[in-house]
Parts: sequence; structure tokens; C-alpha cells
Amino acid sequence: MIGQSSASANSGEKKQAPRIGVYICRCGGNISDVVDIERVVQAASQIADVAVARQAPAMCSQAGQDLVTEDLRNQTVDRVVIAACTPSLHEHTFREAIARAGRNRYLYEHVNIREQASWCSKSDPQGATEKAIRLVAAGVAKARFAEPLSPIAVNARRHVTVVGGGISGLRAACDLARAGLPVAILEKSPFLGGRLVQWDRVYPTEQAASDLLRELLNEVAEQPGITVYTRAEIVEARGCVGDFQLTVKRQPRGVDDTLSPEELGAAIDACLVRVPSEHDFGLSQRKAIYRPCRDSYPNAAAIDWEHCTRCGDCLKAAGGKGICLDDSPELISILTGAIVLATGYDLYQPKPGEFGFIDYPQVITLAQLERLLDPDGPTGGSLARGGRPIQNVCLIHCVGSRQIEGLHEPGLDGKIHEYCSRVCCTATLRAAAEVRRGLPATNVFELYQDIRTYGRNHEQYYEDAMRAGVIFLCYAADQPPLVLKNPASGGAPLSVVVKDRLTFGEELEIPADLVVLATGMVPRNLDPIIDRLKLSRSAEGFLQEVHPKLRPVELAVSGVFVAGTSQAPMDLAESCSSGSAAAVKAAALLSRGHIELDPFRARVDRDRCRGEGKCVEACEHQKAITFVETASHGETSRCAQVNSALCNGCGICVAACPHQAIDIAGWQLAQFDAIVDALVADYS
Amino acid sequence: MMNSVATEVDALVIGGGIAGLQAAIDLANQGFEVLIVEKEPSIGGKMIGLSKVFPTLDCCSCICTPRMAEAEHHPRISIITYTDVRRVDRENGSLLATLIRKPRYVDADRCTGCRLCEYACNMLVPHEFEGGLGARKAIYVPFANAVPQLAVLDLDSCMLCGNCQRACPTGAIDFLQEPRELVVRAATVIIATGYEMIPAGFKTEFGGGELKNVLTALQVERLLAPHGPYGRVLRPSDGKEPESIAFVQCAGSRDRSAGVPYCSRVCCMYAIKQAMLLSGALPLADLTIYYMDIRAFGKGFEQFYQNAKAMGIEFVKAKVARITEDQDQNPVLRVEIVEEDGRVEERTHDMAVLSLGLLPAWNPAEAGLAAPAADGFVCSIQPHLAPSRTPDEGVFVAGAAAGPKDIPDSVVEAGAAAMEATAYLRGHGRSGKSADPDDSIEDEQDTLATGDVSA
Amino acid sequence: MLPGSREKVPRILILATEACAYPGADHVGQIHAEYPTNAYIVRVPAPVIFPESFYLRCFEKGIAGILVMSCGHECPYPGAYDALAARIGRVHQRMIERKLDTSRLRLCAICTVCSKAFLKEVQQMHEKLLQVDAEPQHAP
Repeated sequence: MIGQSSASANSGEKKQAPRIGVYICRCGGNISDVVDIERVVQAASQIADVAVARQAPAMCSQAGQDLVTEDLRNQTVDRVVIAACTPSLHEHTFREAIARAGRNRYLYEHVNIREQASWCSKSDPQGATEKAIRLVAAGVAKARFAEPLSPIAVNARRHVTVVGGGISGLRAACDLARAGLPVAILEKSPFLGGRLVQWDRVYPTEQAASDLLRELLNEVAEQPGITVYTRAEIVEARGCVGDFQLTVKRQPRGVDDTLSPEELGAAIDACLVRVPSEHDFGLSQRKAIYRPCRDSYPNAAAIDWEHCTRCGDCLKAAGGKGICLDDSPELISILTGAIVLATGYDLYQPKPGEFGFIDYPQVITLAQLERLLDPDGPTGGSLARGGRPIQNVCLIHCVGSRQIEGLHEPGLDGKIHEYCSRVCCTATLRAAAEVRRGLPATNVFELYQDIRTYGRNHEQYYEDAMRAGVIFLCYAADQPPLVLKNPASGGAPLSVVVKDRLTFGEELEIPADLVVLATGMVPRNLDPIIDRLKLSRSAEGFLQEVHPKLRPVELAVSGVFVAGTSQAPMDLAESCSSGSAAAVKAAALLSRGHIELDPFRARVDRDRCRGEGKCVEACEHQKAITFVETASHGETSRCAQVNSALCNGCGICVAACPHQAIDIAGWQLAQFDAIVDALVADYS
Repeated sequence: MMNSVATEVDALVIGGGIAGLQAAIDLANQGFEVLIVEKEPSIGGKMIGLSKVFPTLDCCSCICTPRMAEAEHHPRISIITYTDVRRVDRENGSLLATLIRKPRYVDADRCTGCRLCEYACNMLVPHEFEGGLGARKAIYVPFANAVPQLAVLDLDSCMLCGNCQRACPTGAIDFLQEPRELVVRAATVIIATGYEMIPAGFKTEFGGGELKNVLTALQVERLLAPHGPYGRVLRPSDGKEPESIAFVQCAGSRDRSAGVPYCSRVCCMYAIKQAMLLSGALPLADLTIYYMDIRAFGKGFEQFYQNAKAMGIEFVKAKVARITEDQDQNPVLRVEIVEEDGRVEERTHDMAVLSLGLLPAWNPAEAGLAAPAADGFVCSIQPHLAPSRTPDEGVFVAGAAAGPKDIPDSVVEAGAAAMEATAYLRGHGRSGKSADPDDSIEDEQDTLATGDVSA
Repeated sequence: MLPGSREKVPRILILATEACAYPGADHVGQIHAEYPTNAYIVRVPAPVIFPESFYLRCFEKGIAGILVMSCGHECPYPGAYDALAARIGRVHQRMIERKLDTSRLRLCAICTVCSKAFLKEVQQMHEKLLQVDAEPQHAP
């Protein structure tokens, strides 16, 4: 610890009676036109321990401040009460002035006699004057108990752990490293890049997602301070801001990077296991030894331990090297100062039968469409399903989004998703444009509620689509489209029935070769990490920030930040901004190697504490108070102890203690009692 | 004009609205020296004038003033208000900004913000802060929670009667002040110049700004603010409590003919919020929102929209083609109802609100920086991976300067811009004062307990 | 008694939170709205710090009415508002036991620009006190 709020230190100042200086501001006439300053000065000078009482036309002016610093320097006074405007304007100014005079800035009490006396009592000058006198007396009473305080410094490790190796996690890690902080990335899967690699091209620039990922990975690779742990998950978390101790379970990849591309290819070919490919959203199959795609990072393959039969065929095919079928995980300990959670999202999974999903192979999700459009995807960029050329494509918006309680059935996760997923509208329009680029003769129908192309350069997609003849049909939330088998033989396999709000509510039937469900983002199951770090979730299940505007990337646990879609749906650019914002907060927190906290924290008087634990109970939210056992004269006793890094100085513990053994530095209960005494006293 | 000696800072933040303040604080908290330059007499930007904010409906002042105070008191942030940025030049790898400090006609060192000048002044002029609905004096403190609390004299409205000069207890009034040129050397610049609303008179079909009971959204924000111009919701023409209020969405947005082609992103939500607040203030009033698409895309927005519908606010999918007024100055809206039969109707309301879109407030090209993108907002060279990077090396952008944006998104982006600036500063050999671990206690790390365990 | 002071008026103690109610009270002054001068505002980080006995002591000392002006659910300290509300409920119980009118202690939420609500609360408390009892229970 560097500094500590000290209750008993500097007893030298306590031995003699305090010499309090009282300074009353006239504030031009703002105060003195209503409040009789002479009377206030006179009354103040009569109060016990007041060494001098002075007045000035403007205390905040240099001349006013000089009055105070002069009295402090020549030791006329040793603590200060200034009665002027509201403390929010000049408390800071006067604290600085006191510090300039070489005194502790907390040996000072500010009294508000402008906003809370003269300005709100203009028609009652006498009442205002009496009020000002009592407020000054209360200030003196509080100042009598004032003690020198200094900021509390808590040790902080200059190291950050980023959980999640998707786009926002990579952005955050890269930025933290650029800010000079060592970073550990913990990625649950064997590969970095998250979901970005599953998209073909991205709006609004039409850049290839794989190019963007490569660009960011290159930025990451330039930073020497980043350690990447794939297949890693936090299994235990202890400590607090500045000093978290994480235990991370890491599973081996099973494949090292010594294999040549040919050897690896042979090993993959040899594997007999077939698993639906997560990368292709089940549109293709992969082996138990696999790489999700050509651009995966790291480039080495990995073994899917859940599905691997340990047959050893791959090892044989690879020439008996480079592969190890022992999946014993290792436990790693990471000491870190802050944590950035960038754990990403899941896509809404339609229920079987929801808009014909599963029932008809021609019904796919938007994510699957993206895979089909990818020239490197499972079909080499072809949309054809079952040989029939695609003539009509129907895209249904808001699948699993904007659901209404009572109107929609809960999904597979048992939940109603009331929120808008923000990215699907533009993503759908973009995919539709892509479909028409490849197959210009295709008819595209967009079935929507509201088109939400809110972002920069997003509206262009909507305009272009309208110009290009995409047909927009607007359905009401309570009348969603129906996807049926087309009874007419030889035509399109499906028929979509929709009541269109734009054309007199007419019911239209669209023959469809392909129906695309624009599914939204849903929160991932983060229960383990939420439990371990004691985080809170929003009603939707996403991570809940402290305040959406004041502290949008901070979580309720100090030192833990959120980035990207683990907080809410957002697009690529928004995820990157969010990752950078989380990084800058962590960088500022750890920039000095210690964290400075203001001194207004709880502290325990050991002589009074009887170890009953009422304060520990009361502090359920911050969990800043624990017990320590102390042994003296052969007896052990229990005593409460405050962790200042966790304490927020709310004082909930103060009221709970039956023995007045806990207090907030700078805001002692005794000070408030003294204030009340001063307010009810008579001044004559 | 006189040239002042160059000051040197790590970062110059142009704009003291919420994005600029947040970016400055994020940089200063790492030990960098930051200067915020604000063109208005107070920091706080557009946000400080808002009533309550969507979707939480918390009081805007309550969340904006803490940031203003934090910037004001931060030991590594200096703030210079009422100052324009004329040029940003490059010199020996750093940026040289030429600032023009407009005359306040009040000596900032002497003024204590006591407002005696304001009380003494006899001139009343429409108050910009109240959207022109309330009045201010020719010399005035910009608004109650302005930072800094300094008076400013609007010479155009001043009669030079000298009342203020006589009233001022500190002799701070100085009619002879002139614009002053200041040169600031900065390693990096953050553009956080925000937005301006499309002017109410942009469209002659909507009355060209002349119809008394057709208000702009910012005026309605002031009507709804607890300390607004009337202290309650009244319509301007006759002080009557409106019983029927219409909101015209996409007024100037998504409209190539009269306004801007892009979506202004915040208007749907602010209109819903205003409608909700109005229904609280005027429980009997009918509230109608004429919209094309409701874009409730952010966290908690859709639920907010659904709540508004449940409260009885009427949403009509329609295009408003024209606004006129009847003999009682009631706005008459010519509406093409998109839903149902596409009929065209004339609908009369007591008051109409134009949900005006957002325009860029500053063109960096005028200061010698890179030209803005086609939409007029600051250009981003890596719109996906690092949206705050601009074509100018070492110059970053945050908030609505890079396109319309709500408060949460602006605050996040401000953090991102501060991050980019941090990396840039470190890449150029600058680390914040005491930001480097020179005073760190890393060596002692293992011997120290976590936190300050006091007893 | 102050020299020349008029008839005795009930004293109101206002415990105002640093984050919301205290700046709210400042705002009332900034718009030059008036309220009785017997209302004394004390700045507090979070009023949850006060034990039940503190309120009872205040009444014993001669405070006639207490307004606890909190930030409500926008309280920056997690859990503090609920704990405060529960505590005020318990103080009310103890006031009933002591035959103190419970309207002498009131919890309300005031934000930084809630000037109307602030004035209403103070005025109501002032009038209530004049009505309930012109003299404090245990005048010093």
C-alpha cells in the first residue's frame, strides 16, 4: 500500500484544540444582498475553536484564496470552513488552495450559503441570515472532527485478460498491447476469429470478412505482449480489481504445427468420424480432426475430443508424428489486473416447424445463406437446393427477434426475445443484393415489420434494393407470414402466405424456392463465468453494464469490462469500438501500476469490533468486508476487515454495526451528530 | 489580433460535448495532457440541453453534469470555451492547431459567475439554449449548470448601456476584448464536433419554419425539461395546453429531395421518448407518431417502443407530405396513410413536432484536414476494425461527428477514439505523465496484500 | 435564540444525497425559487449510513421533521436504496412506539433538476409540521 486513510495518525494535530478559520463569501452581492454577512462573521467568531472569522467579496478570487493560504501558512488556523456557493463549483478550488499552502486538503469543510441560503430565501433576509449562521456552525462542528486523509492506493498488476478471441476480443487485446499492457487471450474454441469467419462479405463496405480478420490478426501479431491460449476456459476466479487470480483449464489441440500440409491432409482424410460443421451451420460435415476453414488461425488443425474415437488412424496417416491423442487438460494460473469479457453471441435457433424450418430443406437461416454465398463455402457459392434453379427467394425478417409476450411461443431456450437484433435488417438486404448479383433473374421478396437500416451507409442498401425491384411486404407482428408446401406440382416447392400492410392488408401467396429466416442474436450461456465473477445479466440475458451512458463498458464488478456482443447485439464496427472502449478503460485503470481511490472508505475500529458480523452481512453487494482472526495473548479473536478496493464508501455497514465500530473516513457518524447539534443550538 | 505563445499538449479534443468529454477523460486518466476546445461558451454539447434520455428515462442533466465536472476538475484536462478551430497544420510530426478565442467581453479571470450583470441588463433576446422559446439577457451565464460558470456578452444584442459594467463587483466586463489567436501544439487530435439539427425551415412544404405550433424536437426537449422555458408544456402561439400532438418522423432524413439521404438514427427513439413524457405531462392529450419504419434497434429500445404502444401512443405508418395551419394556427398535416388503403387525409392537431435529422456540425476540410465523406460527416478509413481512424494521421473521430449516433454509442466510440489516440501517442514515444510504471509498485507485488486492508 | 429572531419555527433536517438531491437543492437556488428558511440541507454520500437511532436522536434534540432525499433507484450504490427504504420503515415503527407522528420523517427521491418536487416536499413537510405540532417534542 502506498497511502492509507489514517484515523489515528498525526495525533500531533489532535493534541491541541483545533484552530478553525471561517471565511464568508459575499459573492459580489449574491450572498450579501440577502444574508447579513457582518452578523454571520460575528456569530462565527463566537463559536468554540474558531480562531478567525473573515469575509471577502469573492472567496474564489485570488484575493479570497490568499486569505486562507496566508492564515494556514502562518499557522493562525489549522483547518478551514468556507461559506460560499455550492461545493460543486469551488470545493475543488479551495481544496487545491489548501494543498498549495502545504496542508491536507481534507482539513476543510465547505458550507453552501448561496444556492441553499441567499438565493432560495430572497424575501426573508433575516431567516436567510439565521440559516447561514446555523449552516456555518454546522460546518465548524463537522470540521472539528476533520482529519487529514490521503488517497488510498491499491496495487494493480499491469496485465489484462481478454476472454474471447472473436473480433471484439482481438480488438481489445491488440489495443491493450498497443497501450503497453501485457495481455492474455483466452479462447474457448481451438481457433481465433469468432463468428466473423463465418460471414462472406460485410456491410457497408462489401469487404470480405476473411480479409478483415486477417488485417486485425496482423495487427495482433505485431504486438509482442499478447499471449493466446486456445481451448482455454476460466474455471476459478479469485481476488479483485488490480489483482485477479484466474485458474484456466486448457485442453490440448492434439495436433502440433510440425505436420506438413500434405501430412495433415492425409491425417484428416483418414478420419472416419463425421460431425456437422459448426462453421457451415450444419450445411456440411467435418472430421474429428479438423480445421474450420482455409483461413483459420492458428493454421494448425485441432482434434474435437468429444467426437474423436481415439482410433489412431490420423496418427498413422500422418506418419506417426505431430498428433497426440492424450486429451488431459492442463491448469494454468494467470495473475491479472483486469478482465475484458468478449464472449460473443449465439444465433437464434428456430424451432422445428417455425416458418417451416427443418420441415422443408428449402428453409434456411440467414447465416446459412451467407455460407452458401461464400465461394469458399460448402456449395462453392451455389444456392441451388435439390437441383431446381432458384427463381424466388423469400427473406423473412425478425425471426426470433421483437417477440411479444403472449403472441409468440418461447423458443428452444424457453425465452421470449423482445429485443431487436439490430444487425439483421442490413445484413438481410446485403445478402439479398448478393443473391441478385449472382443470379440477376431471381425475384427477391423481403417480408419485414420495419426496415432498420440505421447505421452509416446502411440506408443505401434499402434504397438500392427498392430501385432494383426487390419486393417489400410489410407484415404485422401479430400476423406473421406462413411457410407452406406449395400444393401446385412442378412449381416452386414452397409457398409463403403473408398479409401485406402496404397493399390494403391483402393476403398474398408467394411461390418460393428458398426461404431465408433472418435470425437474431441471442445471449450465450455464460453461467459459469457469471457465477465465478459474480456478474449481473440484463433481462434478455446479455451482460449488464453499470450504466448505459455513463459507464457503458464497465460491469458491476470493478475491474471487469465488457466488449462486443456479449453485451447486446452489435455489428462488426460497433463490436470493435466497444472492444477499444473496454481496452481504454482497462488501460487507464492499470496505467500507474496502482489504483488510486478517494479516501472515503469504511474502516474498522478494532478496539470496538466484537466480530459479530453485522457489517459483513450488510455489505452483501460489494462484499468488501471479511473477517480476520487475530491471536493475542494466546486467544484468537475475530474482527471485521475492509478491502478498500471493493468498498464504495456507501456506509451501509455503519448503520448495521451495533457497537459503532465501523465508520466512513471523512463522513463519520459523529460528524453528522455534531452537525445536528449545531443546527438545533441557539446562537446569541 | 495577437499571437500567443504555443501551448503544448498530448491531445487536443475538438468539441466539449459528451463524446469529447469522455475521450478527454479516458486519455487524461492515463496521464496524458489534454486540451478541450469548445466553440460554445459552455461545455456539455447538445446533451446538456436534453430533458430525459431513452430508453431508461433518466434525467439527462444528472448523467451529463458529472462528466462535465470530472473534465473541469481533472488535473490533466484544460478546457477553453468559446473558441473556434481555424486551422490544423502539421509540423515536425506534430499537429499545430490555430484557435480563435472569441471575445466574451468578460474577463474570465475576474468573473465569478455571480450573474449581477445578467440581472442588471435590460435587453431580452430569445434564448438559444431554450430553442428560442425562452428569453435571455444580452449578457448572461449560458445556463444553470454551465461549465465554466462565466458570463458572456452577446454584443449583437447589446445596447452598450453600461449597466452590466456598473453592476459587476469585480470589474470583469471588458467591451474592448478582441478575438485572440492561440496556437496549440498537440501530438494527436480527436474530432468530437457532434451534430447540428437540420434547420426547421429546411422544407417549404412543412411551413419553412414559420408555423408557430410546429416545433423542432430540440424545442420539445426544452419544453419537457424540468426547468424549461415555460415550466410546463404549452403551445407557443397562444399558451394553450395542446390536446393533440403529432410527431413527423424522418423530417429531413431518408429524404434525398429536401434533406439528407441517410437515417439520422436517433429520431425514432427521441420521438417515442418525447411522446411518453408528453403523455405524462398531458395525460389527456392524443399523441400520434407518423412514421415510415420505427427504428428501435438499441439495447432496450424495442421494449421501450412496445411500452409506448401499450400506453396508447398511436403509431401511424404514413408519409407527411405537407404541413399548413388553419385560422387558429393549428397545424394541418396532409398525410398519406401507407397502411390500409393508401388514402390521403388532412389531419389537424394542436401541435406538431418535426423529428428533424442530424447534420454534421463542422467540416474538417475548412481547417485544412481531410475532406469529409459523402454524407458530410468525418471520414473513417477503417470503418469496420477501427472506425475512429481518419485519413489524417494522428487525427481520430468520436461520436456524432462520424455520423448520427445516440449517447451510449457516442460514449463507447469516444472510448475507442481515446484508445486509438493512446496507441498513437505511445507509438510516438509519449507515455502519460506518471502513466508509466515508474512509480509502480510491481516489485513489491508479491509481498503486498490486495487492497487496503484497514482495521 | 438569535437576537431579533421571530417566533420559533419547526426545524427541518434534509439529508440530501451528494449525487442527486444535493445538486437538486442547488438547482432550486439557481432558479431563485424560495422555500422556508428553517429547512437545513446536509450533504451525505448515501443516507443508508444512518442507523435508526440517529433519526430518533435528531427528534430528541429538537429537529421537528426529517426529509431523506435520496437518488431513488438511480442510487449509485448497489443495494443501498432498498436498505434505506427498509430502514426508514423500521424508524417509522419506532416512532409509533414513541408516539411520534410518522409524517415527521419522509423518504423521497429527488434528482439534480427536480426543483418542483423538491419545493413540494419541503413545503408539505413545513405545513405538516406546523399542523402536527408547532413545537418540537423535546425542545432544547
